[in-house]
Amino acid sequence: MNRIDWTGRAPVLLVISLITLIGVSIGAPGIWSTDNLFAMGVLAVEIGIIALGQTFVINTGGIDLSVGAIFALAQVVMGLAMVGGVPWPLAVMLGLGVGVLCGLVNGLATVWLRVPAIIVTLATMFAFSGLALVITSGIDVSGFPEGFAVLGQGTIGSVPLQIVAIYLPLLVLLAVVQWRTRFGRLVHLTGTNTLAARLTGIRIGRVQIATFVIAGGLAALAGAINASRLTTARPDAGATDNLISIAIVVLGGSSIFGGKGSVVGTALATLVIALVNYGLSFNNLNAIYQSGLIGLILIVAVLMQNIMLSIQQRRAAAT
Amino acid sequence: MATPASSGLNWPSWINVSVRELLLVVGVIVITAGISIGSSGNFWAASNLTNLMISTAITLVPAIGMTVIIVTGGIDVSVGSMLGLVAVAGGTAFEYGLGLAAATPVFLIAGAILGLINGALITYGRVPPVIATLGTLSVYRAAAFLFLGNHWITMIPPSVTETMVLTQPLGVPVAVWIALVLLALGMVFLARLPRGRHIFAIGNNENAARLNGIPVERIKLAAYTLTGVLVGVAALMSLGHSPMVQTTTGTGFELTVIAAVVLGGTELTGGRGSLLGTLLGAILVGLVQNGVVLLHIQPFWSGVVLGVIILVSVGSATVRRND
Repeated sequence: MNRIDWTGRAPVLLVISLITLIGVSIGAPGIWSTDNLFAMGVLAVEIGIIALGQTFVINTGGIDLSVGAIFALAQVVMGLAMVGGVPWPLAVMLGLGVGVLCGLVNGLATVWLRVPAIIVTLATMFAFSGLALVITSGIDVSGFPEGFAVLGQGTIGSVPLQIVAIYLPLLVLLAVVQWRTRFGRLVHLTGTNTLAARLTGIRIGRVQIATFVIAGGLAALAGAINASRLTTARPDAGATDNLISIAIVVLGGSSIFGGKGSVVGTALATLVIALVNYGLSFNNLNAIYQSGLIGLILIVAVLMQNIMLSIQQRRAAAT
Repeated sequence: MATPASSGLNWPSWINVSVRELLLVVGVIVITAGISIGSSGNFWAASNLTNLMISTAITLVPAIGMTVIIVTGGIDVSVGSMLGLVAVAGGTAFEYGLGLAAATPVFLIAGAILGLINGALITYGRVPPVIATLGTLSVYRAAAFLFLGNHWITMIPPSVTETMVLTQPLGVPVAVWIALVLLALGMVFLARLPRGRHIFAIGNNENAARLNGIPVERIKLAAYTLTGVLVGVAALMSLGHSPMVQTTTGTGFELTVIAAVVLGGTELTGGRGSLLGTLLGAILVGLVQNGVVLLHIQPFWSGVVLGVIILVSVGSATVRRND
């Protein structure tokens, strides 16, 4: 099996980044300061981490609509634990455990009950975000120990800690997992042809469960950073993250049917989305416009790719 | 990977699904009994029953179109934003002083246009349904915000509520009658008319359907447009239920609709489904939401209960079929 091919959407992504860059430079000329770029990166890290996990799930041909709910559930569990006197590193571990457990529930339900992932995670999205609201009675949790702030507010030199010490190492690690390990290849094989994968003796169920666990754990990690950055854990956080993370993954070149895509593409798409978001909020435009524009970019990206594909096919047919 | 399980003679699959529908009926009875005992009879108060019927009808009407879409193997996750944008368009018509009769076409046409956009992206743009409607979910919401801003539309004429909710022939509100008539039409269409059979054929095997001369693209386009129109009907009903439009109107509604369809036994892989099941699914969803209010449970539990019900219901169906 060759390296993962994400070239399909690369030109589209490049064009969109270019348009965004020009648009942002004209619309918000003050944006290119280091401080602004770091602020942009900080906002991008959380959704970026969620999207990395979503990439693995989508590459097996699945989908996870519950990552935003896990993001919220994990952060309020951590928050409640810390308020209850649990030392913060332990509380963070607990939150990550919750995320992994949620992912396990998604994976087991998908594989054992043989229910399509979209239904399972639709149901668990209701359940997880309901649980987050139930255990907090819908009230934000705050009053964390000081040490916890390091995750979302710490810096190394002048660079935000979560960019250099969490996101980038994670990206490298996952890229290596995807390109250099047996598991990485199995993920794409499962997505390419589930039946063939099963017939060649691959335990595709285990692969699918593992991807949901990764997605759950990473969503919880993003939740920890979010709660630390805002010094508040919100039970209703991440409601739009389910959809935006899928949009980012697809924009990054992953096929929604599985078998095609890479975490590097996802990271590039995260950058583009972050640029769009920050450019808009820099001009004081409402967050609803940001997600509206992301939706538009998503549709246009897939449309453009389809058009290029059909031109290619026509050329191939002509020769 | 869709396995056309019991292809062949009985593929509208009314008979296969009936066990599930029976279970759903049992579920509805059990939950109803539970709520009426737990609420010490408050459940049967006329105002609560009207409330329950209206909110079920609002879910049911778009769920009819959603069932057709899912049977073709597609999905539409944008109906919540569609409902919001249509309500903004219709509410604006009301603000300009249009009456109920004059504004109704605005609702239906706005819905049709939004549904048509979804359908065109999916059929002619060849964008996968999840992606296309995920995109329009946020685009339509942004459009609603663009038109409305932080403004609220409260100038809904009282005639909307009077006609839809307060007029109750045989004790059932007009909105519910409309929903039931639309459901009956849909059932006849799917079960009896050739076009209805074509919808199942597309869901079972799209290429085979195309090779058999079925106009796949046109039918799919029609299914998404029809769903848009039905969302328009639901938007009008919901304004009769709570006469106010804001930019968040309809947020999360797509999940309620999809939950009703999925609970009703329609399979997301396409080719199988029933509108009778969708009716039962919509009732079940309505009951859960109503029960949470009546039993004074924290409203947050309704999400948990709904999630568990969907998993158990769909999961048990799958396990049963595989045995």
